[in-house]
Amino acid sequence: MKNSYLADITRGIFKENPTFRLVLGMCPTLAVTVLVKNGLGMGLAVVAVLTCSNIVISSLRRFIPEQVRIPCYIVIIATFVSIVEMVLQAFVPSLYAALGVFVPLIVVNCIILGRAEAFAGKQPVLRSLCDGIGSGLGFTLGLLLLSLVREVFGNGTLLAETNYAVQLFGPNFEPMRLLAQPAGAFLVLGLLLALTNIVFKRLQIE
Amino acid sequence: MSDLKHLLKIILTLVVVTAVSAGLLAGANLLTAPIIARQQEEEYRAALQEYFPQAADYKRENLEGDAFDLVYDAAGGLLGVMASTAVQGYGGPISYNLAVDKEGRIVGLRIVEHSETQGVGDVIEKSQFQQQFIGKGYRDPLKPGEDVDTVSGATISTSSLIESIRSLLTVVAENFLQLEDEEAIDISAVPDGTYRGTGEGLFDKIVVDVTVAGGRITVIEIVEHSETPTYMAEAAALIPPQIIDQQSLDVDTKTGATGSSNGIVEAVRDALIRALNPEGGENNEE
Repeated sequence: MKNSYLADITRGIFKENPTFRLVLGMCPTLAVTVLVKNGLGMGLAVVAVLTCSNIVISSLRRFIPEQVRIPCYIVIIATFVSIVEMVLQAFVPSLYAALGVFVPLIVVNCIILGRAEAFAGKQPVLRSLCDGIGSGLGFTLGLLLLSLVREVFGNGTLLAETNYAVQLFGPNFEPMRLLAQPAGAFLVLGLLLALTNIVFKRLQIE
Repeated sequence: MSDLKHLLKIILTLVVVTAVSAGLLAGANLLTAPIIARQQEEEYRAALQEYFPQAADYKRENLEGDAFDLVYDAAGGLLGVMASTAVQGYGGPISYNLAVDKEGRIVGLRIVEHSETQGVGDVIEKSQFQQQFIGKGYRDPLKPGEDVDTVSGATISTSSLIESIRSLLTVVAENFLQLEDEEAIDISAVPDGTYRGTGEGLFDKIVVDVTVAGGRITVIEIVEHSETPTYMAEAAALIPPQIIDQQSLDVDTKTGATGSSNGIVEAVRDALIRALNPEGGENNEE
């Protein structure tokens, strides 16, 4: 049985990676990944919301009538998002300021509702917990990769706006501003998708 | 019957879910609201201390919905004013603090909250943009393209902020720092001679010749004007004698010919400024 829990976690990270395999939740993926700090912060916020909502939805799956399950899911998700938002504002105000409107938008992030509908609404609590962690980490991984590329080339820094900020190139380095713009997000995402497709094909994970 | 039961179950489920949710949110808010408020207060104080390192005390005043903190040093001397206001930007209100020293110069600008577009309008947060305001005084034009720059692509975000800063600075200077709108001129420093100056009357420019002798204005002669003759006669009879009498430009121009009167004062001021700076007066040939 242990293996099945582990499989629930790894499935979300690799085989059903929300960013690269399912291509879900693109709005925050494209919007906040200007800096690694923002991408990571957003990813972890989603991990928290997704795990909590998966647990609650899974444990309530026998009580929620079929017809109103979506509104119930949304209310549950929105509750956790609002709590995460308040916690961020109280304890990590700089991250809260950087993520801006995309924190409340986690409510409509397709991954969360998608996992609730496809998994947590049918599976037992522990497996849903694992699925939430896995999918959340997979999403975080996607955001991390995207923001890494965009920050390094679009901003010339690493971990900017944190205590570990590094200026990667000399003062004459002219960053590719395009990558920090929304259009650059699409370009980088497309390239990363192509890259992961090749990798998955080679590894025959399909 | 079972239909009704099912309906009741649906309603009950929704009620319970939303009620529990509301309860949780209220609890979370109860726990975090004081922390958030304290944090914002701390950030504000830290900024205030940064802009006014000698600040020891401050007194809050409210004017037209904006908060103004009069900042004092340990001896009770006024150091400046930290103003808080909000202006409509592109994506919503931009709330910010403006720190002004007692000479009416901007010493700090701090964006508190905004909803401008990520990666575009949020340049208002960047020090590169904010730095251009530091050191600007209430007499500076603060006009986009003149002494401050908007950021192309983010014109609305930046120009609305610039405009708001300009008017806030004027409010601070006039209401809390009691700074005169214009520079006082030290007439006694003007060398003897006759100087020509121009001012804007009601219709066109007014040209005057001002004669200074022994550090005093002795003669003000109106050389040229396009004002209504009767009004101009009134203004010319009232204003120059007052200026000569008081040796000050701070005269009462509410004469019934206010436009012409203001024009004369402006022209005299211009002449004196030219006298003091022979290299380049305010209204130099352009």
